[in-house]
Amino acid sequence: MDIQRLKPHLPWITLVVLVAIVGINDPGFLRPSNLLGIAGDIVPLFIMALGLTFAIYIGGIDLSAQSVANMVTVVASVYLASMGAWVAVFCVLAGFLLGMLSGYVTTRLFVPSFISTLAVGGVAFSIAQWLSGQRALNMDATQRNETFGWMIGHTWGVPNELLIAAVLVAICLFIERRTTLGRALKAVGAGELAAAASGLNVARYKILAFAISGALAAIAGLLFAVKLSGGAPTIANGFLLPAIVAVLVGGTPLTGGVGGVVNTVIGTLIVAVIRASMLYFEIDATRQQIVFGIVLIVAIALTIDRAKLRTVK
Amino acid sequence: MTRRLSRETMIKWAPLLVLIALVIFFTALNPTFFSLRNFARIAIAAAPALMVAVGVTFIIVMGSIDLSMEGTVSLTAVSFAFIFAQLGGSLAGLGWIAIPLVLVIGGVIGLLNGLVHVKLKIPSFMASLAMGFVGTGAAILLTGGDIVKVSDATFRGLLTVRWLGFPLMVYVAAFFLFVGWFIQTHTTLGRNFYAVGGGEDLAHASGLNVTRVRVTGFALAGVFYAIAAMLVVARIGQAESVTGANFMFVSITSVVVGGVALWGGIGGVWNALVGVLIVNVIDNGMVVIGLPDFLQDGVLGLLVILAVVLSTDRKMVSFVK
Repeated sequence: MDIQRLKPHLPWITLVVLVAIVGINDPGFLRPSNLLGIAGDIVPLFIMALGLTFAIYIGGIDLSAQSVANMVTVVASVYLASMGAWVAVFCVLAGFLLGMLSGYVTTRLFVPSFISTLAVGGVAFSIAQWLSGQRALNMDATQRNETFGWMIGHTWGVPNELLIAAVLVAICLFIERRTTLGRALKAVGAGELAAAASGLNVARYKILAFAISGALAAIAGLLFAVKLSGGAPTIANGFLLPAIVAVLVGGTPLTGGVGGVVNTVIGTLIVAVIRASMLYFEIDATRQQIVFGIVLIVAIALTIDRAKLRTVK
Repeated sequence: MTRRLSRETMIKWAPLLVLIALVIFFTALNPTFFSLRNFARIAIAAAPALMVAVGVTFIIVMGSIDLSMEGTVSLTAVSFAFIFAQLGGSLAGLGWIAIPLVLVIGGVIGLLNGLVHVKLKIPSFMASLAMGFVGTGAAILLTGGDIVKVSDATFRGLLTVRWLGFPLMVYVAAFFLFVGWFIQTHTTLGRNFYAVGGGEDLAHASGLNVTRVRVTGFALAGVFYAIAAMLVVARIGQAESVTGANFMFVSITSVVVGGVALWGGIGGVWNALVGVLIVNVIDNGMVVIGLPDFLQDGVLGLLVILAVVLSTDRKMVSFVK
């Protein structure tokens, strides 16, 4: 079989093979409660990866996702007392606006997205440090349970995080498959010049893609803050690498245009299984970062569309 | 044509003017800013960052980018601390051998970086980011999360021994800045960096082995990161897996603010020097005039956007990813 025709199916084949390998070695891994637990734990990371999917889908990258999530954990902890449930809206709006800023700087000021998002990430980090006074903050436990307790409980044995993730996937899938925005993002990712030539307002759609990425990074941060009942300016550090890995092993290439939301679902599950399998095979946690770094390189090398890169800089 | 010339002149001198303006500004607000002691403090903070910036300058001149410095600095710092301890833990004894060894390790890490980027045809920002994660991971693996102390008095002399008010490490950094300048202007390799950055197709068509120039550039950057790592260890007396933290943001900001164009072909090590000084003067000055230091990353973020915007010739760029 032709490798090019096999390529779109590689992510889920990888997932099935990985699950089989771990499952054969440790049948306890395949227990539904264990699988649900593993899936529930990875949800904040997944939401961030979901956002990154949009940035990568159009051929960009969002390196600010982690800083935005960090900032949101602080914002949520600080303003929960005074704003109540509205703090969620405020957080998502803040993420959306920071994403818009990245998008604006990228498209209108011609700054490459990895630099513009890095810079906006610096701004978010400053805000987080300023609001938190460079300390770790705690949420008031009763108030957290009253306002956001629904996020972290169980419904019929299913972690509520998974339900939240399912709703977000449904929304993102709707945007990707059923809206003009989704089609426009595909056009931009597949060929920006052609999209511009056919009269598409490329800049506006790119700004929107970065804004969606920022908003989802904010939701990831919010959920993380609720889970940990607190926030700090560096609490979500370590999310960025696995989130990028999740998008890329899922089969959305760095060059954009193909892949999408479903791919990121599969990619995140691959990341979750790799993490879990490291526990089962007693690979030291200190090696995780090396493994993910190498997986990232392999994933990019396998997925990237070299026809789109005239020269590789 | 005249417009383009004036633009280039502006880009060339603007960073230096900004630096002078900043020094005047902070001195006006607090005269103690303008003192030998404070300048020494700025120089100590700037020395390792300068080495990282000089390293990454070569890469940016080629039109690529290297985001691996955090991992590389951490890994070489930790390697240095371990090798140094293994060899007796004293610069007076066999410990000096650790220095060339670590320079080689830095070069090899850079080489791997370049090979991943060029051979697997992965854009450099992603290849180097991933390799940076691997480097940090390796540093965590080596230390197990612990701190490795380096307390040899001779080696710490880089910080404690002063000439004319400045510690030795500042002179070491200055020496390697000159080495960087020499490579940039007086070697074939240096000219080739500019050839690749100015137009890769053209360089290739004129028979230049672009692949080799790129890989060599990354290896050279790795050596400079290793120097930075040793200066950091000398400054704080220890190495750990987070020794390289924040170097990525600060060094990229410095180089870009100093006037090295992200598109390649423009700028050099002197721009890196001016940029590092701008960043460190802002950092130090904000503390001296009593502003909270957590604003630093935000200010730098805005500054880097501004610098890229000013240095981009909009007519030459059709679209940006």
